[in-house]
Amino acid sequence: MESLVSLTCSEQVVCNSPLPTASIWQDVLAQAVTGELMAAMNYSALSTICDDPEEVADAMEHAQGEQGHASAFYAEGTKIGVDVPSNVNARYWKRIREAFMRSIAERDFIACLIVQEIMLESFAVASYTRVGKAAPGSLGETFAAIATEEEGHIEHAMEILRAERARNTERFDDKLYRLHLDVMTTLTEMVAKECRHGQCDLCHSSCVKPSLSEVGLSTAELRGASLQQYLKSLDALGLPGEVTLQWVTQLPV
Amino acid sequence: MGHAAASLIAREGQTPERRTEIDFALIGHQESWGSAADVLAVLRGAERTRLPDDEIMEIFPWIPPRAVCNVEVASATGAKARGVYIDCFIPPDHLGSDYVHDNIGRVRAAAACAIKAGARIVSLGGFSSILIEGSFDQLSRTSDTIFTTGNTLTVAFIVQGIRKMCALEGREICKSTLLIIGASGDVGSGCARCLAPFTKRVILCARNAKRLQTLAAELEADGTEVEIATSLEQVPYAADVVICAASLASPSLQLSPIALEAIICDAGYPKNLSPRSGIPGARVFFGGLGQIAGGLSFMPDFKGVLNRHPFPDVAHGCLLEGMALALARRFEPFSQGRGFITRNRVEEIETIAALHGIRLAPLFNSEGPLERISTSPFRVELGTSAPVQERKFCQPLASLVP
Repeated sequence: MESLVSLTCSEQVVCNSPLPTASIWQDVLAQAVTGELMAAMNYSALSTICDDPEEVADAMEHAQGEQGHASAFYAEGTKIGVDVPSNVNARYWKRIREAFMRSIAERDFIACLIVQEIMLESFAVASYTRVGKAAPGSLGETFAAIATEEEGHIEHAMEILRAERARNTERFDDKLYRLHLDVMTTLTEMVAKECRHGQCDLCHSSCVKPSLSEVGLSTAELRGASLQQYLKSLDALGLPGEVTLQWVTQLPV
Repeated sequence: MGHAAASLIAREGQTPERRTEIDFALIGHQESWGSAADVLAVLRGAERTRLPDDEIMEIFPWIPPRAVCNVEVASATGAKARGVYIDCFIPPDHLGSDYVHDNIGRVRAAAACAIKAGARIVSLGGFSSILIEGSFDQLSRTSDTIFTTGNTLTVAFIVQGIRKMCALEGREICKSTLLIIGASGDVGSGCARCLAPFTKRVILCARNAKRLQTLAAELEADGTEVEIATSLEQVPYAADVVICAASLASPSLQLSPIALEAIICDAGYPKNLSPRSGIPGARVFFGGLGQIAGGLSFMPDFKGVLNRHPFPDVAHGCLLEGMALALARRFEPFSQGRGFITRNRVEEIETIAALHGIRLAPLFNSEGPLERISTSPFRVELGTSAPVQERKFCQPLASLVP
């Protein structure tokens, strides 16, 4: 499968848009495209550890779907006159990718589903929904439509994960907590108010976070909605709400 | 709302089956950003730094309603009851009418948590009972979980507090003009029914004139002199005993005119009166609170955080009602709807609560305790003043004696 967009950051990022907020959307799109490309790579990797041919087909289909989402976001950038960079080796995304690949190396299908479907998709669904409401025209429509599609993924994975948790609740919850400390820490640092540990390697000039208010968004809103979605996903898996609340409040801010 | 809560469980993909059977659930919310910050600090653990105020205000509104801690209450009889505290996570500055729909959604989600947790009885604290006042009949349609507002025990403790404060101050309630602010509400009207017959005169104050007229007619039929006012400006007499039981989003009540050295019971949650309201000579105390002789414990340890009072094991009457009923194994909707609190019902819940060692809390206000526990036969003293020697009521208040 050939990628429609580059996996690493393009050297020159062009912004020739009549839309005054185009450079902000450019950075928002860069995160979305990178996230989708990474999801596509994750599903491709997942297909290599599946034993059931049906699961292999499912994973490949999901990879293709995520690739399609990346292309759709990239196309939206073109429509508003910006080149959308992507970089799966950018600071935070690389750490998430590495966490996912550790689960692949351990051939831990359940851990992979937890990272991709519970953690990453919670952030995708919640933040795309918010961006969908704030972004103009077809850009907003695309974010909203992809948020709905991603939500569909989660339900399928939920059934598998609920069944797994029913088999051994303690082992499942321990695993989830270990992954939470690893992946969710990175994700919350990514949506923290400030990038305290340096640039994210995706914004085309200075950090976009302070400018989000110009397009009716804020990191507080994106972070809050994402963590809320994550808590609801954990509720749906049947984890005790008082336990998951402690997990989330202990994340970095 | 049981149906609505069950639908919510299904819609959010939560498994509606019970996790563990527990005796009670307490649904509440924080009344100030300070208390919200303390809750988050406990959840984060002592080893982590406290969140800055701006972060708290950004994070808090996004937390979905959920159980925060396990609660265990011990009866004076030695019995114990287990429960959970569920917070609605209503931002303390979102209690106003602009947020009513969001807040109703939060209370329903909290109710769904209580049902999911398998609570046999649920007490609704603070604004949560007001928000779903009109839909009580639907609360437990699809489950065995019973809901109670807890307002009857709140009324009992307000009335006992007034009685005690009058005794401590040497006042005769039969010579007093009692002003009840928020008189058309469930708590306010309950207080009126319990206290009005023992006063010289009662003034009912609330915005809804029709409800006031109905209550006034009921009280007048018992021979009480009643005035009504739809605003504080219309209050015709300077009251010397005041109960503040209005549902206010913040401590914003401006009390005037009232008699010099009036006794004021602030029974609001959030409080009706600001600590800086500065009413000259007034004796203000926080009403509606009880203390559990057998003790109250939280896991994780929220002692002094969920119950921020200067005395141990103190909680609001509304929450204590659920615990008392759970200890008594009386899983019934003791308090529901508006305007059904009578003296007989107050006496009944007082008896249940007292049997399990749940009694009026020592009196205090924002500046601290108003009494100290004494070993004298008179049990309590006011500050450093002389012991109370007699109750100065003109008529027996047998039904109000715990």
